Amino acid sequence: MNMLTDIPISLIVLCSGLGLILIGMWGMLTQRNIIRMIIGFSLMDTGIHMVMVSIGYVTGGTAPIINDAVPIADAVNRVVDPVPSALVLTAIVIGLGVTAVMLAFAVRIFKARNTLNIDECTESKW
Amino acid sequence: MIKRIFIFAMLALMAMIFFNLVANYTENTTLSKLGHYYADKGPQELGAPNLVTAVVVTYRGLDTLGEVTVLFISAAGVGLLLRRTRRNQDDDKGLEQGDRAEETAGVHKPASEIVETATELLLPMVVLFGVYVFMNGHLSPGGGFQGGAIIASGTMFLLLALPESHISRLMIAITESMSGFSYVVVGVLGVFLAGGFLDNRIMDLGTYGSLFSAGAIPLIYLFVGLKVGFELSAVLDRFRKEDTGPV
Amino acid sequence: MVTATITDLLLHPLGIYVLALGAGFLIPLFDRAHRGSAILVFLLALACMVGIAGFNLFGIINGATAIDIETAGIKPPFSINLRFGLLEGGIVLAVNTAALLGAWHYLPRLKEHASALLLYLILVMGINGMVMTRDLFNLFIFIEITSIATYALIGMERSGSVLAAGFKYIVATSIASAFFLLGTIFIYYQTGTLNIDDIIANQELISGPIGFIATLFVLTGLLIELKPYPANGWGLDVYETASTGIASLISVGVSAGMFFAVYKLLPLAGDFLHSIAFIGGLTFLFSNIIGLKQDNTKRLLGYSSIGQIGLLTLAMALLAQLDSQVDIQSQMYLIVGGLFVNHLFAKAGLFWLAGLVKSSSIRGWSVISKRRGMLLLLGIMMTALVGLPPFPGFWAKWELVMLLASNDMFGWISLILLGSLLEAAYLFRWFSYAQQSVADDEQAEIPVSFWQPLPVAIAVLLLFATSYVMAAVMQVASPELYLPLVAGFALWLIDGVHGRYKNLPMLVAVAIGGYLLTKDLDGINSLFSYLLIGGGLLVSIAALYRKDDRKGFYPLLAVLLLSLATLLRAQSSLEFFFSWELMTLSSYLLITLGRDGAKPALSYLLFSLGSAYLIFAGFAVAYGATGSLLLSSLGNSGESMTMIFSLLAAGFIIKMGGFGFHIWLPDAYAEADDDFTALLSSVVSKAGVFGLVIIAAQLGVRSDIGLDPAYVLGWIGILTATFGALMAVFQEDLKRLLAYSSMGQLGYIVTGVALMSHLGWVSAMYMTVNHFLFKGILLLSAAGIILRTNQRLMYKMGGLIKNMPFTFTFTMIAIIAMSGVPPLTGYGGKWMMFNALMDKGWYWIAALAFFSSAIAFLYMFRLLQTVFLGQRKLEHHELREAPAILLIPQGVMIACIMVVSAYPKLLLDPLSAAIDPWIANTLVWEGTAMVTNFGYWNAPMIMGVVGGVWMVPLILLLLISLTLKIQKVEQFNIVFAAERPRRPEETHYAYNFFAHYDRAIGFLVRPRATAFWNTIVEWSHTTASSLRIFYNGNGQTYALFVVMYFVAMFLLNGGLAL
Repeated sequence: MNMLTDIPISLIVLCSGLGLILIGMWGMLTQRNIIRMIIGFSLMDTGIHMVMVSIGYVTGGTAPIINDAVPIADAVNRVVDPVPSALVLTAIVIGLGVTAVMLAFAVRIFKARNTLNIDECTESKW
Repeated sequence: MIKRIFIFAMLALMAMIFFNLVANYTENTTLSKLGHYYADKGPQELGAPNLVTAVVVTYRGLDTLGEVTVLFISAAGVGLLLRRTRRNQDDDKGLEQGDRAEETAGVHKPASEIVETATELLLPMVVLFGVYVFMNGHLSPGGGFQGGAIIASGTMFLLLALPESHISRLMIAITESMSGFSYVVVGVLGVFLAGGFLDNRIMDLGTYGSLFSAGAIPLIYLFVGLKVGFELSAVLDRFRKEDTGPV
Repeated sequence: MVTATITDLLLHPLGIYVLALGAGFLIPLFDRAHRGSAILVFLLALACMVGIAGFNLFGIINGATAIDIETAGIKPPFSINLRFGLLEGGIVLAVNTAALLGAWHYLPRLKEHASALLLYLILVMGINGMVMTRDLFNLFIFIEITSIATYALIGMERSGSVLAAGFKYIVATSIASAFFLLGTIFIYYQTGTLNIDDIIANQELISGPIGFIATLFVLTGLLIELKPYPANGWGLDVYETASTGIASLISVGVSAGMFFAVYKLLPLAGDFLHSIAFIGGLTFLFSNIIGLKQDNTKRLLGYSSIGQIGLLTLAMALLAQLDSQVDIQSQMYLIVGGLFVNHLFAKAGLFWLAGLVKSSSIRGWSVISKRRGMLLLLGIMMTALVGLPPFPGFWAKWELVMLLASNDMFGWISLILLGSLLEAAYLFRWFSYAQQSVADDEQAEIPVSFWQPLPVAIAVLLLFATSYVMAAVMQVASPELYLPLVAGFALWLIDGVHGRYKNLPMLVAVAIGGYLLTKDLDGINSLFSYLLIGGGLLVSIAALYRKDDRKGFYPLLAVLLLSLATLLRAQSSLEFFFSWELMTLSSYLLITLGRDGAKPALSYLLFSLGSAYLIFAGFAVAYGATGSLLLSSLGNSGESMTMIFSLLAAGFIIKMGGFGFHIWLPDAYAEADDDFTALLSSVVSKAGVFGLVIIAAQLGVRSDIGLDPAYVLGWIGILTATFGALMAVFQEDLKRLLAYSSMGQLGYIVTGVALMSHLGWVSAMYMTVNHFLFKGILLLSAAGIILRTNQRLMYKMGGLIKNMPFTFTFTMIAIIAMSGVPPLTGYGGKWMMFNALMDKGWYWIAALAFFSSAIAFLYMFRLLQTVFLGQRKLEHHELREAPAILLIPQGVMIACIMVVSAYPKLLLDPLSAAIDPWIANTLVWEGTAMVTNFGYWNAPMIMGVVGGVWMVPLILLLLISLTLKIQKVEQFNIVFAAERPRRPEETHYAYNFFAHYDRAIGFLVRPRATAFWNTIVEWSHTTASSLRIFYNGNGQTYALFVVMYFVAMFLLNGGLAL
């Protein structure tokens, strides 16, 4: 029991995030179906977001909002890093934008060739 | 098969690289240089209790403007990709087949009564909550993006419950454009009235911790919230309309 | 800032973002009101972005400091800042200009959808942001803005192949961005900051395995976006399928942004620089090899784009490595800036042209063969891309190679030159397809208005302007150096005039220009100026015989002749090389104007470029050894001398059609316009002689250079002479015969120069003059014959002596002058050369020289016999003498031959005097006779005796022929024993005239060289096939390569040791 609590919380998030990235990559590299590839991308993206959040964690820190619970004078010692949180917000929106465009491509590809199999999209080569 | 093995080998190597990261990682015990500055100076400088908001809207305001732009162009991009093409107008033969499939696609099944009722009940609250979240972005967790996303989930409700409901493209376009443009204008005002582009101190910082404080942050979050809400709604709408055949 | 006005803001670089975003957000609203207003807003915003960049860059060039744009009223690193310095400004201005021109090209498609307009605008803004931002995460945002806008514009097209390519593109680039983001966050983890300057200042914080991996993630993420081999199939597919409007922007704009992003982060790269350079070089070389096999226009442009970016990456990484040792900031600007602007406008221009022509295969480009304007634009863009003068790429490559040379990086130099040659090969192959005119009924008219190619034309002007600025910075932009181009341009302006009298302004321009350029020369250069400029003018007069318009001919001819003049006056290797390349280029284009000129011209160009690059390499080695560009300091290069001499000599010899490298020569000479062949052989080939003499004088005579290179040169010369003669023997085509003859004669000259003795050089120069005279006559005669008979095969002629007595007489005299029998000029040359060879003790060479002189007599005899003697063809009975304008130059040359034959001292004295400073005069004269160890040569006496001996039987024979009745023989009554005639011409006695010799010595002339070069071509195609197997079209394979690329970088840089 003691062992488990010794592991820093952010390390767990970091490991899960990196694991998610690998799973996402696996999906993008092996799944023939374009929609599944997009899901793979989403997983990878989420993994990166988790990694980002974990990096910003400061041992014992709380949310970076200065209010009654966290007085201004003590803020520096009490809060986690607000920067990765801000970055991850941006990254999420960007991931969303890319996913939306990818899905729109998937819709269009399906309309154009009635399949979602990436293996059948190989006409331009060499 | 060889490709499979290759992929696994690559992923194994990636895992090894990641392991290197994990093995050498130690949790921070103090804030980083930037984090320290923001925690230390942020509240006085910008008057926003929520430091993430202070970072998002002002310190890294250019990122946020970029983020809004990303959302804007992906909405525009989805619109461009999923635009309807009139037959015989487009020069490509391949797509006509697709368009025909589009026209013959079935009409949505109506939603169940429970969903419809729940939507009617919840929708105003969801939208209100969204507005609350972005208006209080500088005080409590939340902000323009979060609020906008909540508003968009309201739209999602609407689309699920009433698939045939009509969302005014004109209204979306106007709100999208005007809120984006206003955001840029507020940013530019920073150059004239305060320290620089996107400086939130163009308005009085007000009473620390009150709703109308932290300078232009609530204003910016208003525009961002509206813009994000309407853009996400537009994206959802475009994916839906794409499927339901001709207008 | 409080006092800032709106104008200040709009002129400030920040205005770029404000305008782009403001306009971008409002375009949908304008569109609702009126599509036209949306387009107007779009164009205005783009134009303002160009204006702002230009205004601020102008300020910086005039001494203003780099502009730091801070945001949020907080100082960095706590807020995001952007920077607009010299380099940023230059790139942003170039990209925005290209984007504005591209918008013109793309507008017909863009204006269909308001979203497309705003996406394009924001895409350009994203590139600006990538270039200017100084914040790592903000860089990520701008990358994503750019990427998403690109995806959407690619997806605007509806065909399945575009969408598939676009999806592959998204998958690959999203993995790359993921890498970048991961790296960014871990760099933040270690440094606690995101500001790039702050990160660089605190570099030591990035350490350990995390630092290593984070840096690698960031760099790889960006490098993949630059499409390195082999992780670039996704980029190629998009280039191939996407509309040219977006493909050009990806190729030049997005790549530029990514490139500059890498540039900004280079201080972090440290030890990774080696692998970045390696990858850049590999990409440059391999994409150019693969390009050889590519027929699809846009995919070809894709390979070229990727190659160019690879070259830029290579240059940047190498310079960054050097930068730590020496200060090379100014070279950095020239090299990277020059290559960049060059690629930007040339590649974008080619994409735009490809969009207008709409031929998916480069073989279909003959549709523009009649559109001179578009052909011109295509040619200029390719010339620029290959890095030929006068374009920015030329100066940039020169600076790069010289800088590498002074740091002994010769491996990289070879790679760069080889890659450039390959690129020239596939680009000009495309050009030759574009040039081949198809039969009129097949000519599909392409609907291109006057305005559509305008962006391309503006890009051309911008290339010229940039090039001139670069030349000025490098302090070589003298009016003299540019005179050939100016004259060419001026003549081009009147090129639209009909008729042949455009020749006269050309002659005047060359005469005046040539005089101004060469009047101050002395010594060997001065002698060559009489030959090249005076001779060139004399031969060019003959061009008046052509009655047609000859579009393009006269301007190019002026460029060619005047570039010969600038070559002669070159003081530095840079001026020399500039003129040399200009000469190569203009002569290439002149050859393409010939009947079936396109293909032979291509092989001419490739061999010429190969030769030019050897010369380039030679100069580079010299610069590395001496640190000076002056030709006169070549001799100070110490140990490298042998190397320099060999490289330069090899270059000049290829240009002269030396043995083994001659395969371009017969085709090029044969297919060029007839009067231009005369110029090529009699004048242009002498540029090679000049080069050889110059390096022989500067290097060859030095005692510290081993004798061996000179001896090898001697052998090459004599083998060229022998085989040239042998191959001439078996030709049926009049011009090919003369072409091989030309090759053989130049061989003697090479041997003469190689002797490195006073007499040897005098003989070489004497033979040079002689060759000019007789080959000028022979080829102009040939031009007359071909004009009248419309025929080049000799066995289809015969008996023309009756129709063309003057031509016959001139030809005969020229042949005597050539063949080395007394009394005419050839005899003296041979006599001196044999003496010099014996002096030197090169007996075997002397023996071969003797042998080949005999062979030369065989083919010349045949020329005289089969063309002028024997029976006339029925259809030739009514032929007239060649036009007077062809005969006049020949007559002048005949007069020269006669004078020089009788009084060789007139020529030999100045030659000897010019050579004296290099090798002391050893000629001994006794009156009019030259005396050597082996005998004497008294030219006036020989002239008198032989003239007398000839005249008597000649008069006798004339009398006999008047009195005797000569029996005529039917033409087709000879069948060779044991020869079974398969075709009618085989029964003609003149066909296969020397068949009997073929049995004896024919094995010597089997086309081994051709076979060898064909093998090289095949080999490179095979290599290309095996290099491109990765591009199997599968999106997941491409994605796998992206991941593999990162893993490979990790392993290559010792990741396992972490």
